[in-house]
Amino acid sequence: MSGLSTTVVDAAPVAAASGPLIRAEDLWRTYIMGAEEIHALRGVSFTIDPGEYVAIMGPSGSGKSTLMNLIGCLDSPSRGNYVLRGKMVSQMGDDELAEIRNREIGFVFQTFNLLPRASALHNVELPMVYAGVPKEERLARARRSLEMVDLGDRVTHKPNELSGGQRQRVAVARALVMGPSILLADEPTGNLDTATGEEIMRLFEKLNGDGHTIILVTHEKDIADHAHRTIHIRDGKIESDEPRVR
Amino acid sequence: MPFTEAIAIAIASLRSNKLRSLLTVLGILIGVSSVIAVVAITEGLDAYIAERVLELGSQSFTVQKFPDVITSREQWLEMQKRKDLNLRDLQAVRDACDACAEVGGMLTTRRDAKYGRITQENVVVMGVTENATRIGTMREITTGRSLIDDDIDRGSAVAVIGSDVADAFFPNMEPLGKEFQVDGHALRVIGVVEKKGTVFGNSQDNFMWVPISYFQKMYGNRRSVDIMVQARSMDTFEKAQDQARVVMRNRRHLGFNKPDDFSVETGESVLELWQNATRGIYVVTVVVTGISLIVGGVVVMNIMLVSVTERIREIGVRKALGARRRDILRQFLVESVILSLFGGLLGLVGAAVFSWGLATVLGNIMSTTFTAPVRVWAVLLALFVSTLVGLVAGIYPAGRAAALDPVVALRNE
Repeated sequence: MSGLSTTVVDAAPVAAASGPLIRAEDLWRTYIMGAEEIHALRGVSFTIDPGEYVAIMGPSGSGKSTLMNLIGCLDSPSRGNYVLRGKMVSQMGDDELAEIRNREIGFVFQTFNLLPRASALHNVELPMVYAGVPKEERLARARRSLEMVDLGDRVTHKPNELSGGQRQRVAVARALVMGPSILLADEPTGNLDTATGEEIMRLFEKLNGDGHTIILVTHEKDIADHAHRTIHIRDGKIESDEPRVR
Repeated sequence: MPFTEAIAIAIASLRSNKLRSLLTVLGILIGVSSVIAVVAITEGLDAYIAERVLELGSQSFTVQKFPDVITSREQWLEMQKRKDLNLRDLQAVRDACDACAEVGGMLTTRRDAKYGRITQENVVVMGVTENATRIGTMREITTGRSLIDDDIDRGSAVAVIGSDVADAFFPNMEPLGKEFQVDGHALRVIGVVEKKGTVFGNSQDNFMWVPISYFQKMYGNRRSVDIMVQARSMDTFEKAQDQARVVMRNRRHLGFNKPDDFSVETGESVLELWQNATRGIYVVTVVVTGISLIVGGVVVMNIMLVSVTERIREIGVRKALGARRRDILRQFLVESVILSLFGGLLGLVGAAVFSWGLATVLGNIMSTTFTAPVRVWAVLLALFVSTLVGLVAGIYPAGRAAALDPVVALRNE
């Protein structure tokens, strides 16, 4: 891990010059099911500063997945403003959102969501393909990113040749390769055994220590306790938002 | 996303479903290979016919009662009213046509010939003048002699036979001087004509020449004589036809505004007929191929829809990682085009094999070398058309993939 500080260079987060990284103002998300309107989010507001490590917790149906989709720019709010690094994301179109996801958000999913037929290296390359990074540079950066999660010797392996923990680390390497503002993890340990889950959480801890902003969506208190701040969601509203009590 | 990426993704995806990809493109394969093969075969046949017709002698023509080609019943009825041509017409043409090298007459029928207990069926019996060997296709006498004026003048019961007849009757003996029977008439063999082989499976050697005068003794003189003319040269070919036509019109006292009541036929009229027929084959082929390509396209579209459905999750992941609509659209369009282009390429290989095989079979049937060339334009057309099919078939599935909501796609199991 001694080489860490050098290998992270191009994946290091760029802190916004001033102000919060995320400003959410009165976010509503309403789904129309037949004649009924379902409010998944009912006016959620918060800010997240660069370098924070935040857990979003809540039972299923609380709206935390909806909130995660909004934070990850996979979806747009029905009402309210979402500002990411000074950019008003809530009014962007599909392609602009895709570009924001590409550059600003690094996703880590519960089920890893690696392309099954592609090697670890190619999986990590993928975001750069959509960013138009030239092939040579892509390969070099993907390799460095994999080295950073200690998978430098597994680059040619396909997902089914890797353990769960290794797969999730490939996913983390993929999430970080574009140097995003936010690492957005959705139940990252949900498909892993406890020991491996702890290993991933230690990796997150380290990344946060390096300055990465991490948002962790989970329903497990043990996992949420790794974060420095926890936002509880219930019935589409913020129930509590407080720093970790040590 | 650059094209090379889209192509790499598409090829990887198609390779992971080899059998399915192969089955999918079967329709396009068949469509493309059939159109190319048919074009190749008809071109081969055209070349073959043209060659044969030219061999018939581009300097020869016939003046006859009926045209070679009758296209309607009305025309046929009209033709029935025409006057027969006779040997005096022949003599008149011979006297007046100075552009004609040879003017001969011919009467034709098909009969069974018998030698002892051997029967040769459907022999073309031709009553000819002595110059028959010098008009149209030149044919050599391999044994004995040809007909001479004396045979014609006397109306001798002699025959020059084709090699099929000679082989059937006299496999191990000297045919000259032997007598065989046609409709109760004994004919003495005086010569055998060189073998020519078959055209479209029809033997060109199952015939005999007898003096036209003896033919009339056998079958009466009420049949219309075909006047066979060999022009002096290519340059006088048209002139010879004109002269023969003028002679005939004068003899029949046709006014200047009346059409000919006889037909002048050259090898070219046969060629023209043939080319009309092949044009018909072309059109039918294009229609049939069009249908099979549409079916092929529908199959490709269907499989692309399946492919999109199977990969909804993958599409979600790609979108989460920053793929825009057009990236996804391009990915699936390229896949569809590559799939059907692959079919087109296989079709080309199929066409090459198919036309080679058919050419070989036809060549054997016709006992000649026969080529069916696969043309560059046909290849380019096939590739263009299969690309087009891929594009059209891919638009809808690719559009659906591109329009997927990333949240919904990621939730897909």
